[in-house]
Amino acid sequence: MENLDAAELNIRRWCTDYLAETLKLPPSRIDPQTKFARLGMDSAMSVFFLVALEDWLGVELGSDVVFDHPTVAELARHVAGRFPQAAASAVGK
Amino acid sequence: MNGLPEDVTSLTDVLAHWADQQPNARAYVFLKERGGEDASLTFGQLKAGANALAARIAERAQPGERAILLFQPGLDFIVAFFGCLQAGVIAVPLMVPRRTSARDSSAAILTDCTPRLLITNSALKESRPDVIERFRDAPFDCLLTDGTDDTQVAPGPACAIGRDDIAFLQYTSGSTSTPKGVMVSHGNLIDNLEMIRRGLGSTPESTHVGWIPLYHDMGLVLNALHSLYVGANCVLMAPSAFMQRPLSWLRAISDYRAVEAGAPNFAYDLCVNRFRQEHTRELDLSSWKVAYNAAEPVRADTLERFVTTFARYGFDRSALRPLYGLAEATLLVSVRRGAMAPVTRTVSRAALKRHQLSAPATDADRYSLVGCGHTVSGEKLAIVDPQTQRELGANYIGEIWVSGPNVAQGYWKNAGATRDTFQAVIEGRTGVWLRTGDLGFLDEDSELFVTGRIKDIIIIRGNNHYPQDIENTAHNSHPALRRDCGAAFAAANPNGSEMLVIVHEVERAQRHHLDVDEVLGAIREAVVNEHEIAVGEIVLVRPGTLPKTTSGKVQRNLTRVLWQKKDLDTQSDDADQRHTAGR
Repeated sequence: MENLDAAELNIRRWCTDYLAETLKLPPSRIDPQTKFARLGMDSAMSVFFLVALEDWLGVELGSDVVFDHPTVAELARHVAGRFPQAAASAVGK
Repeated sequence: MNGLPEDVTSLTDVLAHWADQQPNARAYVFLKERGGEDASLTFGQLKAGANALAARIAERAQPGERAILLFQPGLDFIVAFFGCLQAGVIAVPLMVPRRTSARDSSAAILTDCTPRLLITNSALKESRPDVIERFRDAPFDCLLTDGTDDTQVAPGPACAIGRDDIAFLQYTSGSTSTPKGVMVSHGNLIDNLEMIRRGLGSTPESTHVGWIPLYHDMGLVLNALHSLYVGANCVLMAPSAFMQRPLSWLRAISDYRAVEAGAPNFAYDLCVNRFRQEHTRELDLSSWKVAYNAAEPVRADTLERFVTTFARYGFDRSALRPLYGLAEATLLVSVRRGAMAPVTRTVSRAALKRHQLSAPATDADRYSLVGCGHTVSGEKLAIVDPQTQRELGANYIGEIWVSGPNVAQGYWKNAGATRDTFQAVIEGRTGVWLRTGDLGFLDEDSELFVTGRIKDIIIIRGNNHYPQDIENTAHNSHPALRRDCGAAFAAANPNGSEMLVIVHEVERAQRHHLDVDEVLGAIREAVVNEHEIAVGEIVLVRPGTLPKTTSGKVQRNLTRVLWQKKDLDTQSDDADQRHTAGR
């Protein structure tokens, strides 16, 4: 089992819920290790995803972050590392 | 009056005119992603920049040779485009390939147009070394707009440009298997820009705000070149800035008191969906007189929602200008003119699917069509039965055919496709006609309504995609998929926009131990990487069950009908895990 802190788990949960809703899949089918492209996410969807994540956290991540960290697991680790406070304290959808 | 001298034969004459008349007026402004100006060019600066670059281009390429223009959003593209025009070199605007695309989608275009030069800038070279790497062994030179030459190049004598010389090649986006480059001549361009000026009623005060990519015909001709032609200021933003914050487009219109701005239908929907009162404080859209809508089917409910949402910010319904056009006609074919609300017509949805017009039978059968206005003088339009090639009367649906000085010369080095598309003949009428591949009708007032298309193109967010390219990508994505046994087509999303559906046969040998998730994932990933589209739905069918012609070609339309009726012989589909894109 990977060693995940609360901040990282929080981001993972939010990303999984968001993608499940957007892709009309049950959250259990969103594998955190699956590449966003493999889930069928095109660039328009990744822009909307990024903007929603930024709004939720109240931080700016920059437009390349989804490219550079192309799975839920990698993105969560990156964001939790850069913004530990925001990542741990963000709540809701 | 367009204010231009009468002997204007090319856009370089037009630039010279404005650079002389109003050298310090701003021609272009480029906005930063999060507000504020990134760069600007006056008419004088653009002329000087294009002159200097034209000299460097002329050192490396002969008039009539091709130069690929590859730029991230910004004003260097504009300088490069005018530099090419001035040097008599044919500009070929291309999209920067996606980082993850395995096969270079521009390879087929390079093979087709055999460029002498690749023109880009150091920003792209530094931020996307992978792009330059792709072209490392290519038989052409790379020229940086902001690079310096060893020796100072003196501007040579201006290249004499004739009306029939080709100004640029417009490759319809997304074509990888058999790219077709529309040859737009200097005469086509000038004549269509004059039609656009008249159609929109533009003046040097018609400030324009646009974000459509400049490699797209709408971004290039209707945003960037149209503004220059009329001597107006064109404010540009990156497409990604619009996608991230759609309201920033409206904010720029408000800030610059813009008169003209337009986009494909989806953009108007996006503005409404992302509307937040707290983001629109002090937004004033009262200067916006021309809100054109093109490159995608124009939807009545979209226009209605947009007016309802933004009327309180001064947006007037009469600004809505549905417009019909295509690259093969340079750009504009018809547009709603004058300050009047668009014309709509309510018809039977069921009859429309059979390409017939009739009154709706029930409320559920009601469908509103939006008129795309009239042709602009100088051009003729006919509705033709695509089978008999005979002209049809008012209120009959047929193929839209166009004839006029704005119709391009044909497809680059493709005599067969040029003959089929550009040289059609109508019994009893003179001249040759362009077959648009789109279906529509003219009402009793000659208002054009576009109702569908016979060509197989799939239009997603204003971009055209060819089904054979997507089918090829899908087939190559997984060994369990049979060659030449897939069909890609467009279907209506529940929200009314277009979505991509792929139906594919699986290999006989593989069908009993098929990892369905693996295959579906492989198709989705490949299609996103190569074509930048999220697939709406994928259906895997048993081998030998896809409808084909006697000559073995997949029948896409019939496949679509079977899919709609749920009559396909399904191996397995992803209906239980449907992932229609949430937009």
